[in-house]
Amino acid sequence: MSDFTLDHVVIAVQDLDAATEDYTALLGREPSWRGEHPKYGTKNTLFRIDNTYIELLSLGAGKGDKRWAGELSRFFQNSGDGLYALALGTSDVNAAVREARDNGLDVLDPSDGEGVDLISGARRQWRNAQVPLKSSNGARIFFIQHKSPPDALPVAATIDGVGAGAPSGCVKRMDHAVVLSADMEASRRVWGEAIGARLALDRTFPERNTRILFFRLGDITVEISGGAAQSKEGVGKPDRMWGIAWGVDSIDAACARLAAAGIETSGPRPGIKPGTIIATVKGPQTHGVATLLIEHTAESFRPESREPHGMAYDNAPATADRPQARAFHAVALDHVVFATADLEATAAKWAATLGLPVTETGTIDARGARPGFRMAKLPAGNAFVELVQPLQPPTSTIQPPAQGMFSMSIEVDDLDAAVRDLRAKGVLVSDPAPGAWPGTRTAQVNKQAANGVPLQLLQRS
Amino acid sequence: MIKKVHHVGVVVRDMEQAMRFYRDVLGLPVHKIEILYEQGVKAALLKVGDSEVELLEPVVADNGVARYLEKKGEGLHHICFEVDDVERDLTSLKARGVELIDQQTRIGLAGRICFLHPSAVDGALVELCQPLPDDVVHAAQVAAAPHGESA
Repeated sequence: MSDFTLDHVVIAVQDLDAATEDYTALLGREPSWRGEHPKYGTKNTLFRIDNTYIELLSLGAGKGDKRWAGELSRFFQNSGDGLYALALGTSDVNAAVREARDNGLDVLDPSDGEGVDLISGARRQWRNAQVPLKSSNGARIFFIQHKSPPDALPVAATIDGVGAGAPSGCVKRMDHAVVLSADMEASRRVWGEAIGARLALDRTFPERNTRILFFRLGDITVEISGGAAQSKEGVGKPDRMWGIAWGVDSIDAACARLAAAGIETSGPRPGIKPGTIIATVKGPQTHGVATLLIEHTAESFRPESREPHGMAYDNAPATADRPQARAFHAVALDHVVFATADLEATAAKWAATLGLPVTETGTIDARGARPGFRMAKLPAGNAFVELVQPLQPPTSTIQPPAQGMFSMSIEVDDLDAAVRDLRAKGVLVSDPAPGAWPGTRTAQVNKQAANGVPLQLLQRS
Repeated sequence: MIKKVHHVGVVVRDMEQAMRFYRDVLGLPVHKIEILYEQGVKAALLKVGDSEVELLEPVVADNGVARYLEKKGEGLHHICFEVDDVERDLTSLKARGVELIDQQTRIGLAGRICFLHPSAVDGALVELCQPLPDDVVHAAQVAAAPHGESA
């Protein structure tokens, strides 16, 4: 098995100075390193955080090896700025290459590299080996073994400015990287079989049309995300490097810090995984990297929270392959009722704005406590819009809104059975009675039972 | 331009509780449940014939659905009509000076969508949608936020 870690993540940026400024603000940290690669014809800025480091990579002035600079140029032409590569750390790159090749992964021969820090003059050496894009299914991956000691790259100083004990809004660690896949089996083979990363999760959420694979590289997850079912068109298509989730101690502090720096976020909201709080970073400062901030609260480490969310919704009662004996069936949306104080004026707006003309009108006289009303039918394909205008002011018992959406009518196959069944389940329903439109019988479901919706059940004869 | 009623939107306080009525008591099959990051809502589409009921639960405090829930409580929220070409219809609505919420179409759970201002038809919130393949909608959701926090 491989001993790979996620050594660092590479973000390709065309303007290194601007990107350095943006990522200094985004991470809340000063760069660890401003350097160049004389051999590659590239230059970079590095930020070491708790569990990995970030490399902003740009084209350098020098005449370097065409392979590195040329590939970066092509990336800019095709994609602009964005997530460029994942560097997998190993203690023995030669052995890692041999093992990967044994597993069927094409890897280029390892070669030595060196970087120079422009400010301190410090040098760092490594040996790396690139996996061709064809071989890695589209995600740019290389193996790296550092020859210099880890402290050759200092930890990026935080610029939080918070007092002792206050929660920090700086990026502490990398939580996960997201790779979008159109061909999940090909991605699984690359990351699982060829690279030998531990597959921690392979789960499909039909209701979200999503399948996710979690591969662990040390304490960082590479999330491969694709559709629930494999599409024919997707087979053989390359993966796309998509985004990064950064771990912070306090999402509130992080959002406040970014707002002060002029970087827009979605603001904190609950994550899909219970106990997590997340915020999306918007705006150009991410340089094309889909960026999420994540705070793990104590709850997110509890065993039950380790189950990915989504399974709480049990679709079983209604799926086609597990039909349940039901007393009745809801067969169609019949109509939706909108109240108005002026039937003609509102009908004219529906016709002019949405092209739905009135085809039928009717009047229902007042009966007991119920006011009379005029109504108009506007067919809209599978269902119709009904406009109603009360004939007299609302009474104390019936108070339709003067304007707007009022009620919804659903057609059932057996109204009497439906009323019995709902009552058996504790739902208040009126007795079936002739409906407002000819050829219908209806019953009204208690509004509270239907989440505030005045719901009518209707059967057509 | 309108083909059919694509769905009726209902704002709910608690998706699980609403599911117990719409899914379990009424027996409407669940078609899709998603968290729409950009809109800050959890949304479920339940089939009723060839139309759908969309349940919406706000997951943040500061969006339209959350404000609606706070002000008016649970209940009917909007009606969505399916159209052939939502871009064309939006252009036409703009040309006719119809008041709109969305000046440009965007990707929602139902596909490419736009909302009209309620004043356009006297107080009803109307959405137009042009369905897209699920994977396109999914990719747009992913674009809104990388999801699936580490287990």
